[in-house]
Amino acid sequence: MIKMTVSTLLGIISFLLVVLFIFLMYLLVQRQRESYFEKVRDRYLQNYSQLWYDYLFNNALFSIVLVPRGSAQVEAIEKIFSSYLKNIRNEQVELKIKQFSNQYLKAFYEKDLSSKRWSIRMNALYRIADLQIDELLTKCQEFEKNNITDEEHFQLLKIYSLFQPDLFMEKIKNSNVNYAESEYRRLFILLDDNVFIRFFHDFNSLSAKMQFAVIDTAAVKRNMEYLDELKKLLHHDTPEINIRALKGLYEIGIIDEMDPFIPFVTSEMWEARLMVAKIFKHVPLTYTYSYLKQLLQDENWWVRSQAAKTIVEDRHGIAKLQQFIESSNDQYAIEMAQEIAARKEGK
Amino acid sequence: MIESNNKKKLDGVILMNDIKFTHDIMQEHEVERYFKIWRESVIRSRLTITAVFLKTANATQLNENVNDQVTSFLQSKIRKTDLLFQLSDGDHWGIFFLQSSDVEARAFLKRIFAILKAERKFQQIALKASITEIRNNNVIFEELLNKNKQMLSGDEQLTWSIAEVKDYCEQPTELVKVSIIEQNAIFRQVLESTLKQINIPYFSLDVKVYEDGYSFLQSDDYKSGHMHLILMNDILPLKNGLEILHILRHMPNEKKFIIYMMSERNSEGAALNAYEGGVDEYIVKPFNLRLLEAKIKRTFARFWQ
Repeated sequence: MIKMTVSTLLGIISFLLVVLFIFLMYLLVQRQRESYFEKVRDRYLQNYSQLWYDYLFNNALFSIVLVPRGSAQVEAIEKIFSSYLKNIRNEQVELKIKQFSNQYLKAFYEKDLSSKRWSIRMNALYRIADLQIDELLTKCQEFEKNNITDEEHFQLLKIYSLFQPDLFMEKIKNSNVNYAESEYRRLFILLDDNVFIRFFHDFNSLSAKMQFAVIDTAAVKRNMEYLDELKKLLHHDTPEINIRALKGLYEIGIIDEMDPFIPFVTSEMWEARLMVAKIFKHVPLTYTYSYLKQLLQDENWWVRSQAAKTIVEDRHGIAKLQQFIESSNDQYAIEMAQEIAARKEGK
Repeated sequence: MIESNNKKKLDGVILMNDIKFTHDIMQEHEVERYFKIWRESVIRSRLTITAVFLKTANATQLNENVNDQVTSFLQSKIRKTDLLFQLSDGDHWGIFFLQSSDVEARAFLKRIFAILKAERKFQQIALKASITEIRNNNVIFEELLNKNKQMLSGDEQLTWSIAEVKDYCEQPTELVKVSIIEQNAIFRQVLESTLKQINIPYFSLDVKVYEDGYSFLQSDDYKSGHMHLILMNDILPLKNGLEILHILRHMPNEKKFIIYMMSERNSEGAALNAYEGGVDEYIVKPFNLRLLEAKIKRTFARFWQ
């Protein structure tokens, strides 16, 4: 058992009480500062939201009172700008926000980039991209030389893609960071078409994840320009790329020639056969029926099902299926044709 | 001759003789009852009615043959939705064009006048006409007839000319309730300012804002009989936009709601789902405010054709 005199015990208790008191005071001061910050921010929002609206949308004159004094007011402006940019599309407004941010917010974010706190640096990087503060591009390049996290690097790539696509292309190809496909897609979707198409030109030098992301992004962008590029990828050595290219072409939905797809009717990969059965939806049945008939007798259930669905989409589809049911010996195919035809007629 | 015709019409015994003369044409007193119902539909269903009155340009021309010829000619030219009738004085014809504006009535008159002038068998006929577009319910049948008769009575109106009575063409201003349901306070304010500034002829907008679906439903504002424009986000706190859509579209008078849904989801699936649920417009964020204004104006322009 520890022996302690009453005076020592009292001393310890007093010390703990003092520590507790100091901690309490610290919390109170912090809370006070926080509530003052919120008060300043909310007052700015309350007083100047309408002025901002008039300046941005109604071409009212710019008032100097809108220039922020302190980080609380910067946060209020961030709120206003992000609400506008997220909800409203207006080139003139975007330009005004960009000009204002470059002139009055640049210094705040430049300082934030040097912060020791990761969250403050990340917030600055997000705002630089959202508010299009291109005057901080050089600062961002300097920032990259520091010991930064993968998330910060990703955000920097986003900034480069917006402000200097050539730099972005160079950086992303030489990047040591291996991002997920979805992250690459998030970056690629921001690129202009004339920049994005460059990925197809040196497709083979990209990592597999980037290659997949390029194909998927092309499908989402639905641009006619990418049709030929995707068709070229149908001859690629990697089966996964063939399948993704087929999927991309299906998503774009414009089939101008049949020849590139016909070899896939007899492909060894059932996924490729499935995709080609889907693609034939975009071609009149008169050109595709013989291939779809073959796919309807495929060994794979998904392929058979898709072939029947594609046939039935056509105006004469049900009649064709009936004809097939009467003439075929393939019991699996007949059952599939019957099921899909019945479902269509049931509608 | 005119006098004797009038006498015939008043005399029930010899009315059978008039059947040939009138071609089963409705008479003034019969039409009045229908007119009262249509007049109320003008406001309730926002249907424009246009009344056309015709008279032979030269009163001395009017004999049984001419009268008969005009009646059968007019009957052959009107649509099934139009109503031809004869005024009690026997020398005026009236036509009510339902769901038609003065533009259509004028085109009709120009067409029939051209035929009458061109065809030899109608050389005896010369007409003049007046048009009254009705866009409000302040019109009394007798007053309508008198104003048009008066317009056609003077000699100053030329043969084949078309006069116009403009006393009833002004439609009343209708109050439309507007509810903006959007969580973001700044954007909500922008939408409110935009809709308060929007100028739609003959409609006044009463704009209210809500930050979540629940407060909108609690307000009971949507239960009134007014036309109600709802501009809401698909994702909202407490009750989301799709739930509100479902509730509104299952109300008995759901047709009064014009529902615009705003969404950040730019996918065909999401848009399809919203349209199948009953939205009138699906708007992907970010969008152009001018485009929203144009869409709203176009929506209201469709109500009065």
